[in-house]
Amino acid sequence: MIERLRKPWPDHRAERLLGAVSLLITAGVVAMVVFVASRAWPLFEHNGVSWVFGGGDFEAEVNRMTAATTNPAAAVFHLRAWPLIYGTLITSAIAVVLGLTIAVLSSVFIVELAPARVRRIVIPMVRLLASVPSVIYGLIGILVLVPFVSNNLVTTHEKVSLQSTVQLTGGGLGVTAVILTIMITPIMIALICEALSSVPPSWREGAVALGLNPLRAVRAVTLKAIRPAIVAAAVLATARAIGEAVMIQMVSGGKTFIPRPGDGVAFFFEPLRTLASAIVDYRDGLNSPALGAAVYGFALLLLFSAFALSITGYLVKLPLRKYQTRG
Amino acid sequence: MSWRWGDRLVLVAAWTVGISLCVIAAAIVLYMGYRGIEYLRPGLIFSRPSADQAGSGGFLDPLLGTIILTVIGIVLAIPLALSSAVWITEYGRPSWLARVVESSIEIVAGTPDIVIAIFGLAIFQTSLFAPFSFTAEGGGVYGNSFIAAGAMMSLLALPPIYTATRDGLQAVPGHQREAAFALGKTRITTIRRVLLPSVRSNIATGATLGISRIIGSTAIVLLLLGSTLRIEAQGSFPGINVLRGTGSSLTSYIYENSPAGEGGAPQKAYAAAFLLLIFVLLLNLLVDRIGRAHADSSGLAPIGAVV
Amino acid sequence: MHRIRRLSVALTVAGVVGVAAPVAASATSLVTISGATSSYPLVQLLASKYVKLHPNKVRFKITQGGTTVGINNVKNGSDTIADVAQEPTSADAGLDFYPIAKYAICVVTNKSNTLGNLTEKQITSIFTGKTKNWSEVSGATASGPIQLITRTAVAGVLTSFKSLLLEGKSVAPSATEEATEGLMRQQVESTPGGIGFLSNYQADKGTVNPVAANGVACNKTTAASGQYPGVAVFFEVTKGPATGGAAAFISWIDHSGAAKKIIASQWVPIG
Repeated sequence: MIERLRKPWPDHRAERLLGAVSLLITAGVVAMVVFVASRAWPLFEHNGVSWVFGGGDFEAEVNRMTAATTNPAAAVFHLRAWPLIYGTLITSAIAVVLGLTIAVLSSVFIVELAPARVRRIVIPMVRLLASVPSVIYGLIGILVLVPFVSNNLVTTHEKVSLQSTVQLTGGGLGVTAVILTIMITPIMIALICEALSSVPPSWREGAVALGLNPLRAVRAVTLKAIRPAIVAAAVLATARAIGEAVMIQMVSGGKTFIPRPGDGVAFFFEPLRTLASAIVDYRDGLNSPALGAAVYGFALLLLFSAFALSITGYLVKLPLRKYQTRG
Repeated sequence: MSWRWGDRLVLVAAWTVGISLCVIAAAIVLYMGYRGIEYLRPGLIFSRPSADQAGSGGFLDPLLGTIILTVIGIVLAIPLALSSAVWITEYGRPSWLARVVESSIEIVAGTPDIVIAIFGLAIFQTSLFAPFSFTAEGGGVYGNSFIAAGAMMSLLALPPIYTATRDGLQAVPGHQREAAFALGKTRITTIRRVLLPSVRSNIATGATLGISRIIGSTAIVLLLLGSTLRIEAQGSFPGINVLRGTGSSLTSYIYENSPAGEGGAPQKAYAAAFLLLIFVLLLNLLVDRIGRAHADSSGLAPIGAVV
Repeated sequence: MHRIRRLSVALTVAGVVGVAAPVAASATSLVTISGATSSYPLVQLLASKYVKLHPNKVRFKITQGGTTVGINNVKNGSDTIADVAQEPTSADAGLDFYPIAKYAICVVTNKSNTLGNLTEKQITSIFTGKTKNWSEVSGATASGPIQLITRTAVAGVLTSFKSLLLEGKSVAPSATEEATEGLMRQQVESTPGGIGFLSNYQADKGTVNPVAANGVACNKTTAASGQYPGVAVFFEVTKGPATGGAAAFISWIDHSGAAKKIIASQWVPIG
């Protein structure tokens, strides 16, 4: 038996073994969905899909769930988690919109405008930003940015006028959005730069030959040509942004609240929570039957959003393949 | 040639943005460096944290924890990634199955760390997986251990290694395979003896990117490693008892010492963060070196390899 | 080359067997404890002393998470003992509560705010959000809006605080919530207009200003004599009667002189 294993394997056996190992990954993905969904089931059983809507006092509902220890009554499972979803959407939206603008400008800068010496510095810097762990971003946020905002940017007038609704402690939408933008921009820069340098230079040269200045040539020709890459970059960055948990939990102010644009500048100082940061916040309470189901429900929602974005990204990148000049 | 004002504005904006990014990156490194040099002492690296209080003692245990997790993660990820990359590029029949496997890996790549961590909890807290952590006196499976966290870390490292290996295999010219077949080699032998050795540097790049992701992950450690400051082994089988035990990593140590965790010791947090940043920078340089040895067209491609 | 491969196969098999093998009956039993952050320092000290005096009998694994988290963990069996800082309620049927010490809940303000005393009425009015500004509080040296700091819902100290010093009312919903006593203390330390509440162990550390209640200072002496109104109990809680290593530990706390010395150092012994 050992002798048979030791001889060089015939192709079909090797193929089947390798295929089986590869299928383990698919099995893992399926298991991921099944296990998370089964633990999240009580949340859906008692709320249907309407737990993503708003209208209740989220903090009170969570308190009720935390306190419920065994066999909770059906009323305990009632949850309206819209504040979390709003928090996820608004932080990701601000970060992706800001980040995409910065990424496109930087990519044009790196590929078209920067002299070689400057490019040799900028590229490693961008790669550095991409690889800094999120907990270090969170550390700088909570030790430097949050006290700065609290001491210098939030006025006493704002604190007093909002006192009965929410306390402003410095952490909140502004700091979260700024750091999240810095975190997701390098990913977009990498993708867009790769796409920019894959566009045949003859296209741009043709435009310049027709009388456009170099920058306009880029705008008119190259940027339009890499539209799929820009969309793919935005999709990828969105997936990263909605999944960011630890950094947001550190700097977002620790209170579930829907920031109100009507409050003027204070809108950026109001605390919030996202789906991912809520999972980190409530991670000790997973043994409580009601709260545990809710947290698994948040994870399931994130999982499906990531799926959907993944599929969108894949579909959008398909037309991009025709621009890749190398194998 | 004179440019219109709009174009000049965009030019200025592009330059500003490009330089600002460098300034931000430099500021982060310099600030962490300044704080790190202020607080990092060699003694900290080699002393163990005191068992009861976050913030006293050093961070030898978290450092060891990071290393153990990285080893487990890479050891589990490499066979999975290589097998799938080889199977998809060299065999891949039926093709719909290959599509399915490739999509699964893309899904794993796009799943947030925190969801992978939750998934790990859901699995390792079932009684089937009880041997991989430990069971408390009341009968509940704890679900937190180095094995649990390490297994989930392998899911983080899997996509970079897979993508890098697959791209490398696809780039090997067809005539190398044909030459081997002409000499009478089977496909699997060709893979073992010809193709895999030639993509060694791709595998190395992928693995380095994977290690980078593993050492930077906090969510999985917070949920799956049991948040004990020191490495606490379970059971009595030497070696395995550490794997089944709980501990911490550099990332969870930073988190616990910051105002978001137990607080108390931002100096220790800065010191550990500086150490972590140095590791990440070194890994970055390593990827650079490997990448330069096999010239890529765009210097930013390795980030794209994570996609 | 073949020898290496055979050796690695053998090692892998041994490793797999080692992992899958049933937990070897070790001489030491493992007692896992989780729960209140307020009693964590006390339980940590007691456990270390117990292990020193009775080596190789019991191993402890102590985490925190808050009173309610501990109760949930004990109920579903993943922990042996829960540290609890509040009185048992009707939801805790089936659990056994063993009191180990008493503690005082002190209202605390930032060090720069040398507020000396608050009546119970004032405490209620401030924490429910009726009194909003430091200018309305006589004796306070802080100015501006009052920044309320409270604990998250899992805290036993919060439940005890509400029933003892807040006339049963709830803290204003706009208050900042902190997950542990350590974080509460830090937040009060760094917020000049802040006010919160801590167990006397944390309040005595000298970094915050403890406020007297109804004219009675908040420390372990006034708590022991019964003068201070806000005194609550630390419990060790098990599912059903404590057995094995947990029972030995709890009975040691009850009877041993060394345990009583530890409790009396910063807390109040059970009468």
